[in-house]
Amino acid sequence: MKGINMETLLRIEDLETVFRSDDGEVKAVDGVSFEVGEGEMVGLVGESGCGKSVTALSIMRLIPDPPGRITGGVVRFGGRDLLSLSEKEMRKVRGNEISIVFQEPLSSLNPVFTCGEQVREAIALHQKLGRRASKEKAIEMLRLVRMPDPEKRYKSYPHQMSGGMRQRVMIAMALSCEPKLLIADEPSTALDVSVQAQIMELMLSLRESMEMAVLLITHDLAVVAQMVDRVIVMYAGVVVEEAPLGSLFERPAHPYTEGLLGSIPKLGSRVDRLPSIEGSVPDPLRLPPGCRFSDRCPKRFDRCTEAEPEMFTVSSGHRSRCWLLAESEGS
Amino acid sequence: MRGIGQNGESKGRGLWSAGWARFRDNRLAMTGAVIVLLLYFVAILAPILTPYDPIEHGDIPRMRYMQPNPQHLFGTDKFGRDVFTRVLYGSRISLTISFLAVLISVVFGSVVGAVAGYSGGFIDAVIMRIVDALMAIPRLFLLLTCVALFSGSIWLIVVLLGVTGWMATARLVRGQILSLRGQDFVRAAEALGAGRKRIVLKHLIPNTLTVIVVAATLRIGGIILAEAALSFLGLGVPPPTPSWGQMVFEGREALLGAWWVSTFPGIIIAVTVIGYNLLGDGLRDAFDPRQYV
Repeated sequence: MKGINMETLLRIEDLETVFRSDDGEVKAVDGVSFEVGEGEMVGLVGESGCGKSVTALSIMRLIPDPPGRITGGVVRFGGRDLLSLSEKEMRKVRGNEISIVFQEPLSSLNPVFTCGEQVREAIALHQKLGRRASKEKAIEMLRLVRMPDPEKRYKSYPHQMSGGMRQRVMIAMALSCEPKLLIADEPSTALDVSVQAQIMELMLSLRESMEMAVLLITHDLAVVAQMVDRVIVMYAGVVVEEAPLGSLFERPAHPYTEGLLGSIPKLGSRVDRLPSIEGSVPDPLRLPPGCRFSDRCPKRFDRCTEAEPEMFTVSSGHRSRCWLLAESEGS
Repeated sequence: MRGIGQNGESKGRGLWSAGWARFRDNRLAMTGAVIVLLLYFVAILAPILTPYDPIEHGDIPRMRYMQPNPQHLFGTDKFGRDVFTRVLYGSRISLTISFLAVLISVVFGSVVGAVAGYSGGFIDAVIMRIVDALMAIPRLFLLLTCVALFSGSIWLIVVLLGVTGWMATARLVRGQILSLRGQDFVRAAEALGAGRKRIVLKHLIPNTLTVIVVAATLRIGGIILAEAALSFLGLGVPPPTPSWGQMVFEGREALLGAWWVSTFPGIIIAVTVIGYNLLGDGLRDAFDPRQYV
């Protein structure tokens, strides 16, 4: 397990991102704080709509404005607060120091240019290389992401490739400037299961060889289980639990995390019906009073609906936002 | 995966060659393309195709208003000039004016439309209200006033037709950009650190290029008609330089006695406009980007 003496690469403090809607302002991210160490692989987990993708886009300052806006917080990266950089300075960070891979590899590629051209453009944006040199580098990047026949594939258009190959192109583009942090926003969700595994394995090996940190965003705890050092669980715009991988799987402290873990099918065990969490994610405009999970929580008691819990420390590096912990601490 | 990637027909081909394959199978579109290409050939090869001079007067008493005959296929006009020769040379004027005017209006309109669509919000609103205001000005009257103020020349006509025709392109491109702007590949380009200018020029405009080319082709017909109308009103290309509209105008006074002077340039105008419109329709069918994205 890493994490003890690691230098902090990214530190987010009280990040707040709101979206304006017809019914009022929605706080999609409401005071999120976490860290990613250099070379660390962190999983950011939660149901759709919990704010994990908005957190990622906020780090990159890519929130569409209007309707969205980052209204507070600090995103410290390499000694700077990204939120206070000018747009021009921020452009030098994007794709160069922090890269992001999106979920949909087809629509994330420009349909009218060849894949090779697009990798080449990603290189040319941040590196002063001639046409020849940047093309060679692009082919080298395609080889690095294990694209079959990279010279030939350089000239292929996105629609001529399979989903897995397209995602490889996206990864090649994201890694072309050797970023210190890669944000992968559900990179394998749109792919077949077998291709998913290949892409995940590729990311794992590239992360080792390039010594970069990865923030892996997913709704699937099973994906996270094989890969990451640490897990951050989000629910309705806040972080509800944060723990080293082993600790989270052995002793989940938040009932929501327990629910998520319970709904992973286990090989070899026979169940008729997978357990699931009752209800659905609350409407962000009508959050339940107190703890945001209180209306779905099987362990709810009086205090849960009275006030929102803070983050309580469970053990070293393991924290959780649940009143149950205050009870056990207090007694 | 949608679109052409699925069927083997276009596997291994780019966007353009797949469109070209569809275009080739469209008989009307090919007819239009042949007409347009033929016109450009004729314009370039005019001196080879005819022994006569388009401007110099003929032996007036003898050559004036000759009926179409083997020496003068389209007959002669009141100055004894060969109408066929003047139609050939006139194609140079019509094609040059229409091409350049459309180029000006399309380039300018695309950039304005792209900036408006990508910027959105206040900038978009201001630009589009200006476009609305300009569209409300009757074009022909504006043209007539300008030509009357500054004496007519080919370049003035080109610039006038160009700068009065960009608004429709701006609207069209803006609409396209609006639908492209929210797409993932634009966000992905932003995530790689691409700036505004690069996104507009490298990602947005190339994706609207097929639409722009189609619209431009369809607009050329309109410009040719506008030029003909101006020349017909005596405010277009100054004589003796031959232009089709002006030839129709000049033949008007002898229409009953010498029908050929107006009729042949009139037919050519119609054929040219039809040719461009067929070509434009064919291009749209072949390259409609909705089949890809």
